[in-house]
Amino acid sequence: VSFLIPECGILPEVLKSTIADVGEYYLVRNLSIHELVSHEFIDAFVKKGSCYALTYNTKIDQDNTAALLPNGKLILSVDKDTYEELGLQGRPSQYSGKKVMRYIITIDLTDSGFHPDSKKHNRVLWALKEKKPLEFDFLLAWYNTGAEGSTLKSYFSKNQIRALKPKITFSTLRDLQCPVLQSNELQGKPEESCSTEELFEWLGAVLNQVSLDNKSSSFLSTYCCPQPSTIVEKAFLCTITGFIIPEKIIQLLEQLCCYFGDPKLASWLTLTVHGFADSPVSWRESEHGFHKGGENLYNFVIFRNLDYWLQMAVGTNDDCPP
Amino acid sequence: VGAALPVDVLTYEEKTLSAILRVISGGLVKLWSALTLLGSYQNRRCAFRVLQASPFLLALSGNSRELVL
Repeated sequence: VSFLIPECGILPEVLKSTIADVGEYYLVRNLSIHELVSHEFIDAFVKKGSCYALTYNTKIDQDNTAALLPNGKLILSVDKDTYEELGLQGRPSQYSGKKVMRYIITIDLTDSGFHPDSKKHNRVLWALKEKKPLEFDFLLAWYNTGAEGSTLKSYFSKNQIRALKPKITFSTLRDLQCPVLQSNELQGKPEESCSTEELFEWLGAVLNQVSLDNKSSSFLSTYCCPQPSTIVEKAFLCTITGFIIPEKIIQLLEQLCCYFGDPKLASWLTLTVHGFADSPVSWRESEHGFHKGGENLYNFVIFRNLDYWLQMAVGTNDDCPP
Repeated sequence: VGAALPVDVLTYEEKTLSAILRVISGGLVKLWSALTLLGSYQNRRCAFRVLQASPFLLALSGNSRELVL
């Protein structure tokens, strides 16, 4: 997650505290997936708040991958052999081609038919525990809606659970060329403002430290800042890396909107959020595949008058975002 | 390839020996193949590995496959 604020040298305190409050996430090694299907886990975490889990270090186009969504659905993306051995009902991956090599199994943990003694629950538990036990390293996070009870750390204390804090980096960019934008001119206006695509590419250039002032005759690179642009003396860039849950991103977004509460030189700022390239889902529950690059990201451009642009980008093996 | 297709070297980092290249989408396969097959330069053996490829420059600023915990 990154945000860029032009004309800002020092971050306001309230934003600093929001970032500090981004919260921890957990890495559990060698966790058997049947533990996520057990009713103690479902009652303690899935039903109380939003629980998120994603397998760590698994490639969506090669390995078996699993994810737990906050709505209680457990998604398993498995290869053909695992699917046949598991014996659970799923559907072929949309991005499989003629010969199906990947299957998606969705288990709704909060379904009323999934209570402890139901046939459904027993079959799933049997498949994941005895027929084909699957173990992964998981990234876990839980947004607790204030309920009392155990924490993830205490629940998985017998596995090797590690609490991790997202990595946060700050930098101040000097003399940055910024495109001029007008919130109601999405296509840009010649000599007056830049288009949304130009901004999107410019932002990518800034976050990757690409030089913005190449001449068109330069041997190395012909990329230059879209015109019209202004030079801002300083801009604040913050990047947070880790397993960050949407609730925290919403808090950050709200605080960024409040940034314009006091008069500021900046006329817009951006917030970019990247999804995991190897997640089995992107945007609601649509299947996500890797192909050549598993990008799934969105970018907010928030203007001083609180208009905003929302740009969503997906890779080849993805459905269009909503 | 650089002569036949315009390729931009957007960044180059000597520390990590990594670079970001830009090419039109029709030229991706040619460029990628050329990088794969380039085995030596000025009599020194070398190899190129593509870490990330995307139509969006912004997508290159975050690579979850590089997350090491």
